[in-house]
Amino acid sequence: MTKTKKIPASLTLASNRDKSDHLAGFLSISPWLIGFILLILGPMLASLYLSFTDYNLLSSPSWVGLANYRNLFSDARFLKSLEVTFTFVFVSVPLKLIFALALAMLFNTGRKGSSFFSAVYYIPSIIGGSVAIAVVWKQLFGRQGAVTQILSLLNITDANLIGNPDTALSVLILLVIWQFGSPMIIFLAGLRQIPTELYEAASVDGASKWRQFFNITLPMLTPVIFFNLVMQTIQGFMTFTQAYLITGGGPLDETLFYAVYLYETAFEYLRMGYASAMAWVLLIIIAVITLVFFLTSKYWVFYQSEGGR
Amino acid sequence: MKKYLWYVLLLVLFLLVACNGAEQDDTTNAEGDRDQEDNSETTIRVAWWGNQERHDMTLEAIELFESTYPDISVQPEYTGWDGYWERLNTQAAGSNLPDVIAMDNSYLNEYNSNDLLVDLAPLIDEGTINLDDVDDVYQEINHDGDRVLAVASGANALALVYNVEMLEEHGFDLEPGFSYDDLFEMNLTIKDALETEGQEYFGYDFANAEYELLNNYVRQHGMSFYNTEGNGLGFEEAVLVDYFEWVQEMVVDGAAPSHDIMMSYIEGGNSMVQEGSSAMQTAASNQIIGISQGTEYELDLAVLPAWDGVHANYIRPSMSFSITAHSAQQEAAAKFIDFMTNDLEANEVLQAERGVPISSAVREHLSDKVSEPVQKTFDYLEVVADYTTDADPLSPPGETEVRGAFSRIVESLKYDQLTPEEAANQFVQQAENVLN
Repeated sequence: MTKTKKIPASLTLASNRDKSDHLAGFLSISPWLIGFILLILGPMLASLYLSFTDYNLLSSPSWVGLANYRNLFSDARFLKSLEVTFTFVFVSVPLKLIFALALAMLFNTGRKGSSFFSAVYYIPSIIGGSVAIAVVWKQLFGRQGAVTQILSLLNITDANLIGNPDTALSVLILLVIWQFGSPMIIFLAGLRQIPTELYEAASVDGASKWRQFFNITLPMLTPVIFFNLVMQTIQGFMTFTQAYLITGGGPLDETLFYAVYLYETAFEYLRMGYASAMAWVLLIIIAVITLVFFLTSKYWVFYQSEGGR
Repeated sequence: MKKYLWYVLLLVLFLLVACNGAEQDDTTNAEGDRDQEDNSETTIRVAWWGNQERHDMTLEAIELFESTYPDISVQPEYTGWDGYWERLNTQAAGSNLPDVIAMDNSYLNEYNSNDLLVDLAPLIDEGTINLDDVDDVYQEINHDGDRVLAVASGANALALVYNVEMLEEHGFDLEPGFSYDDLFEMNLTIKDALETEGQEYFGYDFANAEYELLNNYVRQHGMSFYNTEGNGLGFEEAVLVDYFEWVQEMVVDGAAPSHDIMMSYIEGGNSMVQEGSSAMQTAASNQIIGISQGTEYELDLAVLPAWDGVHANYIRPSMSFSITAHSAQQEAAAKFIDFMTNDLEANEVLQAERGVPISSAVREHLSDKVSEPVQKTFDYLEVVADYTTDADPLSPPGETEVRGAFSRIVESLKYDQLTPEEAANQFVQQAENVLN
């Protein structure tokens, strides 16, 4: 009798404690949870709804169905912005990663001062996305900027590189490549993970440095390369500050990045509904590309813990 | 365990309160106003755009206002032109517009059609805003039928700002009546002369106002930029082709600087006329005040070129003030507008920098107190009055986007990537797309 009474009692106790544990758990993540719901999920759902309306910021939205999405693909400037953004990502991301890897390998040799220099090279990526650097960059490459004057003294070109439709995008690509610091640090960490025995064994077998690079370093680094590739690609698609501040999308729309056009549509032309549709299309583009990376990763990313492919 | 829970709860409560508090600060100023009303003080928010000089003068005038009306305090919100409308648009979306906003003609219709502006007619009729000394011509453009949407804080007209000595030196003058082709010839002549001396000369500075100049050009043809219904353009494509031919010729033949040079001056806040690498530029007449600062050259204002002998200028109100529909303090807001329009002391501080004051009493009071460039804007408005035709109706909502399309097409035109015919055709199509 006493036994049967005790058991349910202890059970209720236990489940009470379970409940209060859950509550405590939810409460402790609540700052993040509330933040997520209010600042991310809410606005996202709102923009999904707005993308099906003609919302213009000043009057209430009315439903237009898929019209915004349909119009996108006959909008010459939208297509131009896609072209610019894809060119930018496909040129800048590989170059940036190659640069980052090359320097990471240099600093990994453990020569004197290498940690100092790796810190120095990291600085651009901390400050590189900032407004101040964009303004400095604009000055340097502007009509009377230092770079422009040096180039003209060296008789290379007289042109104002950011005012010239043929070169403006290249200047922005250069600026972004210059911010190779964060992938470099990650590469550096990755390089230090590679067991030195592998290189020792390879040297004993007489493998050249190039051979070691392609057969040891690169395969062992693939998880890190994969990570950097995904992050940098996503970042590349969302590039805004540099283009908005330095070229404003011009000249002749040659640097009309996706995010710049989106901003212009939303806040200058007040086509919030249309801009929301653009935002969702960008989300889909990034999702698809990331998915492709993940799906192909099993063919080229090598995880040590799995004992090879 | 229990203690820990309490901490978490407290933290959450704190966060919620913090969020809530912040929200109130941002979005419900009206409530704050009501609180303050109990202490018999009203707060109004006033927004305008401009440069540092204008900000300083306006803040000083606001101090005068506050000492005249001790029960009203003004919370200023000022920025440069860039970002001003983006800021207002987002505030409009949040039903949180300031009580008084500086209004530009190009946005008046957009804001009016979205019911964001208060009709000022009753406030004017009852005398809270006193416009007794104001000629109708200054306020015409701010009417929508019987409704009054804004009160101009100054008047100006599109003009050429030119370097007096430089033109004299090369034997030119800009007496009203010169043509577009004359501008072309003058600038090429000056350029040749100066470049043989080794001086840099860019030619006619469009100052990114090709759109405004076209507006004048189509008016000279007896047409208007937008049709009366506001759902399409009001001029013929052939007129635009002519205009584009002239613009392209100017740039390609070197009588005007290339687009990137022009833009780099504008973005840097510099002016070619100021530094002497151009003899003339398009500008609103009040801009001569800013350009005159930091230059040793003597500058003056000239009437825009005539087309086939025809002039079609118009005097336009600039930097008008409107009261927004979100304002809970319309009475106080109206007093502010009245003060800025009529108070002599305040206008002494403001130095007619927004344009020639619309009140004749203020104009008279200021006439012997203003600096030379300001005096020139006064004189110019009298001169240009002989060369005006009726003002056009307000530009339709969507003008910003039409102007955006126009700038891009002019850019291509100046880079010689489009023929005038192609450019005109593209612009007409894109503009009709936006306006329909």
